[in-house]
Amino acid sequence: MKEFNVVLAGVGGQGTLLAAQILGTAAIKEGLDVRVSEIHGMAQRGGAVVSTVRMGEKVLAPTVLDGQADALLGFEPLETLRNLKFVSEKTLVIMSDEKIPPTELSIKKMKYPSMEEVIAKIQRFAKNLTVLETARLAKEAGSILTQNVVLIGALAATGKMPVKIESLMEALRELVSAKHLEMNVRAFELGYKYLRDRTRSKRL
Amino acid sequence: MPNSRVLLRDELGKRVLLLGNEAIARGILEAGIGVVTTYPGTPASEIGDSISEIAAEAGLYMEYSINEMVATEVAAGAANCGVRALTAMKHVGINVASDLIMTLAYAGVRGGCVIVTADDPECYSSQNEQDNRFFALFSSLPCLEPSNPQEAKDMTISAVEISEKLELPVLLRTTTRVSHTRGPVVYGKLTKPQLKGRFIKDVKRLVMVPANSRPKHDVFLKKVEEAKETSEKSPYNKVVREGKGRKIGVISSSSAYNYAVEAIDLMGLDASILKLGMTYPLPEKMIGRFLKRHKKIIVIEELEPYLEIQVKAIAKDSAPNIEIYGKMEKPYFAKAGELSTRAALVGIATILGTKLRIAFEKIDAEYADVAKELPSRPPILCAGCPHRASFYLIKKVAGDKAIYPTDIGCYALGIAPPLNVGDIMICMGASIGAAQGISKATSADTVAIIGDSTFFHAGIPGLINAVYNNHKVVLAVLDNLTTAMTGHQPHPGTGVTGMQVPSERIAIEKVAEGCGVRYVKVVDPFKIKDAEVILREALQHQGPSVIVFRAPCVLMAIREKRRKGAEPLIFRIIDKCTNCMACVKLLGCPAIIVENEKVGINEALCTACGLCASVCPYQAIKCGETD
Repeated sequence: MKEFNVVLAGVGGQGTLLAAQILGTAAIKEGLDVRVSEIHGMAQRGGAVVSTVRMGEKVLAPTVLDGQADALLGFEPLETLRNLKFVSEKTLVIMSDEKIPPTELSIKKMKYPSMEEVIAKIQRFAKNLTVLETARLAKEAGSILTQNVVLIGALAATGKMPVKIESLMEALRELVSAKHLEMNVRAFELGYKYLRDRTRSKRL
Repeated sequence: MPNSRVLLRDELGKRVLLLGNEAIARGILEAGIGVVTTYPGTPASEIGDSISEIAAEAGLYMEYSINEMVATEVAAGAANCGVRALTAMKHVGINVASDLIMTLAYAGVRGGCVIVTADDPECYSSQNEQDNRFFALFSSLPCLEPSNPQEAKDMTISAVEISEKLELPVLLRTTTRVSHTRGPVVYGKLTKPQLKGRFIKDVKRLVMVPANSRPKHDVFLKKVEEAKETSEKSPYNKVVREGKGRKIGVISSSSAYNYAVEAIDLMGLDASILKLGMTYPLPEKMIGRFLKRHKKIIVIEELEPYLEIQVKAIAKDSAPNIEIYGKMEKPYFAKAGELSTRAALVGIATILGTKLRIAFEKIDAEYADVAKELPSRPPILCAGCPHRASFYLIKKVAGDKAIYPTDIGCYALGIAPPLNVGDIMICMGASIGAAQGISKATSADTVAIIGDSTFFHAGIPGLINAVYNNHKVVLAVLDNLTTAMTGHQPHPGTGVTGMQVPSERIAIEKVAEGCGVRYVKVVDPFKIKDAEVILREALQHQGPSVIVFRAPCVLMAIREKRRKGAEPLIFRIIDKCTNCMACVKLLGCPAIIVENEKVGINEALCTACGLCASVCPYQAIKCGETD
């Protein structure tokens, strides 16, 4: 089996680290080799952050080579653009439409690009793009803080990742506190269902 | 987020996903280490933090020491009683501890003593990217370099064993991509830590006066020779792949090894690979034999040409005609920044004159087109961070002409616009000393900025110097009651220890008074009017003055509020707003947003600190009110 590479791009505080850990833990349960790269410390303070998860029979480097992501989970539109160098035609791009304007925009009086512009840019790199209203789905699940798990649900629904849903659920149970587990499971299901339904409607 | 209880499980053979630093913590438990010390610093912090969470249950002693020097002294003291000890720090922490380490090498240890240095290629969260393998070469202390979390655990245990065998402290050098990579780790047996040993009085061995140091230097050099034999036999130094044609040999270690092997495999290159895990002393004979059976050697390593220099020296005797490629004569690989599979691929292809299958130039060109329009998103002070209030005040009172030496911590983010506070920052504690030089050499007002944990770490000698030599400087201690940047570790000002038990709380203002500072005040940075008066007084004071800006880190405060179940307050912008943009221009708070040229507040980010309300000239920002 070739390895499966996921790039998770977002803003510090959005839960990319937990999302990466959930994917890595699920892969371990499948008996796969795994590397998860994380950035801690100063970079986390509201700055752009990237985590990567690589799984397969044998994986060495924790980071993903340019153009070699199998999936890019974009937690924020601008951060999705910032990581397009990992993307090629084969990459599944799953992106939240929740904008977090960088402070630089306010100070320099610049405008956040429109969703159409963002999508057009992504489509220059990738053929397979799904945009999710993660904030709405997460709120429906019970908390705005579950957007990261909505995205994981959507990734699982592609069926491309070499990890069973049961393993992802088990990872969720291990890593999320009992108090918040139920809403996270709901968030996963909402993300999963959203992508599945969309894929179906496309086929019709 | 860290769930360190997983580390305590006595499940031999269990395969668990661990962060490299957690793997070192597991190694600590498997090695039966009794004393663990640290000063937090990225990328080393989770070693101490994991142990702090479970120390009492695991039955070992852990402390957050005041700085890396003291941390190493405590560990070395325990190790000289025969208790196994480990101290962990970021790469620049070794600079602080170096005075001890260089001579501890002569004195030696009796119980295993491991010094973890976590290097940070690419400066993800550091002021430099020094390569501490040279510290091993400089001090001649044995050095192990893991390439993944499993090795990080295994080498922690091996480092203890080597240390006890040679009676020397041993360096365990990781990088960000080892410490902050999660990977599978197979659990070994837990060992009950031994907490008490015996101090054997032996002046000749332990008191490094010249008469003792001279003979001890010879003893030390003999141990280094012994360490060379250990390195020759080390299971961490091995030829992991023998090429068929035996033309090309690759030598690598640490994180670089992963990129090297991936690059070789992607290229389908027929090459032998020598992986080095014990990188001081190097296994010279093993390397010599490897050189002899190849025609071309490629050394792939991150940062400095540490291996390359030594491999070339070995080649002089064993294979003088061999071609050796790396980063010395020609920069096939860069000395600065992080290595990557891409950098390894490009370097190897350039050396061999082959063409790469992946068209990186095409990816670069397309990406550059997207990137040029992207606004940057550097790390910033959090919404509600008390440092923003302090900086706003300091800037308002002392102005643009004042000079602001700053220090290591979250508050270094004060350099971002619109606050722009921070004119020189070099290393821990340097703000205070630099301010004194600047104040002597200019007539400008000088306001040094330092955090609470950094003040305890390295600020106090500088402050005493200011009093003793009567320098007219203002020291602003931004006291957020925690070591925030590295993950909210306690410090002497918090009254809690690494064992998570209460202790004497040391007040910064008392320390300053004790150092002889005549003007010492404590202010709440959110009470802007009161703080302003005090800051003006301090600037007029002849001689050094200290103002402690005290308010808890907002991340901690929010967590506390959530735990108590308090309803979050919300600030809103009311009709009176004229869109003058003062709040945007003065504060740069991420919760203040401009949409369709109108100011608004992002309710998800707002922490209700009220700073924007106090700076609004039209009183147009109110708590809880709607339009």
